Amino acid sequence: MDIDDILREVDPSFDSVPQETRDVQALTRAWVAERSAPELLPWPADGLFERVNDKIKNQIEKVEEMTGDMDPKTNFALIVIQTELERYRYLVRSYLRARIAKIDKHTLHYLSTDALRSRLSELELAYATRHQALLHNHYLSSFLASFPAGLQNLNDSSGNINMVDTPDLDTAVFVRLLRDTVVQGRGVHKDDEMEGTDGSILILRWSDAKGLCERGDAELV
Amino acid sequence: MYGDLGNKLVQHAKRTQNLAHLPPYQTELVRAVTREVRDLDKDVRSMLEPFQGSFDPNADPAVSCTLLVDHMAMRRNKRCLLAYHRTRTDKLEELVWNGTDIPDLAGQQRAPGAPNGDNGSSHLSPQEEDYMRQYSDLLAAYKGQWTDIDLTGSLEPPRDLFIDVRVLKDAGEIQTEYGAINLTKNSQFYVRQGDVERLIAQGYLQKLS
Repeated sequence: MDIDDILREVDPSFDSVPQETRDVQALTRAWVAERSAPELLPWPADGLFERVNDKIKNQIEKVEEMTGDMDPKTNFALIVIQTELERYRYLVRSYLRARIAKIDKHTLHYLSTDALRSRLSELELAYATRHQALLHNHYLSSFLASFPAGLQNLNDSSGNINMVDTPDLDTAVFVRLLRDTVVQGRGVHKDDEMEGTDGSILILRWSDAKGLCERGDAELV
Repeated sequence: MYGDLGNKLVQHAKRTQNLAHLPPYQTELVRAVTREVRDLDKDVRSMLEPFQGSFDPNADPAVSCTLLVDHMAMRRNKRCLLAYHRTRTDKLEELVWNGTDIPDLAGQQRAPGAPNGDNGSSHLSPQEEDYMRQYSDLLAAYKGQWTDIDLTGSLEPPRDLFIDVRVLKDAGEIQTEYGAINLTKNSQFYVRQGDVERLIAQGYLQKLS
């Protein structure tokens, strides 16, 4: 994937790239971003995964159709399609697993507010809710039930320590700038600001880079 | 000392993180820590009883100090218990993702030569077995929505469609798109990776690079 592709994609007047190609790009980008961001990113809302799923289904059917054919030419095409299919599957699988890992780690955090809940897909929401319920039940039956009532909560915040673990938003991420922009970073001793140019790669705190990524000024690498 | 038992649990949890298998559930220890919490709570209540809800910390620093220590110890114990159970459930979830189920687990531990000659009972507490069963169901339900992807498949990026494998244990006959293959020990095959992934994970086949 190329910067030009992305820039062209940001520009709405541009549509000569077929939908399929853009979907692959979107999927790849979502996958890269999800794997490097310390917190869960919003689930793509434009039906990307429905389309990807349909594509995969189509290809699987095609493979099944072609398998019967013993012609060497189809056989070669078959291998190409199967390889592509495997890679597609890998992208989706890895993406979903990265998200599940994050959700499992900070379930209560992602379930705590509506804004955070909206980042999960419906399936993930169902999974997270159920998983948390299972965990809570397990704790209850293992030891929590015999605790004094006041101590049975899982979200105490007494003594200034919140029991709900949150992801560390200050971890470093690498971003690539997609256009010239001013980059602000918070430092340990002092904050800094610099003129970023298109294409340069920076290392930033995620909390600083988040805004850039959301505005489309930068992407995670 | 308050908290000693909790500390032991945390040590167990820490050790569990680095182990390949799941050590036995510390039923006694968990029970003892829970008991400590209950005793502390009883102490606190009996201490506060004479004050009838009008306790003034400044008037009686000794009592308020005891209360504070008890209070902290209870919360600490709770966190220790949570941490211990969470570590174990994380392990269990990992097992579920890798396709192990409870009978498998019990079978492994019953294997001859296991260091602790327990009588075949699994190392899980009954609650943990329940949890694992329910989590398998949950995962199966989630996976069911993504049947075409095979969510529990390999997380290594695919390089080649076909790979060389050597058979380590007899696995019987498998069906592939190219016909049936009979997997007998020590034989070698050139097969589609997707077809044999599960068998590699289960240790029947070895991937040759």
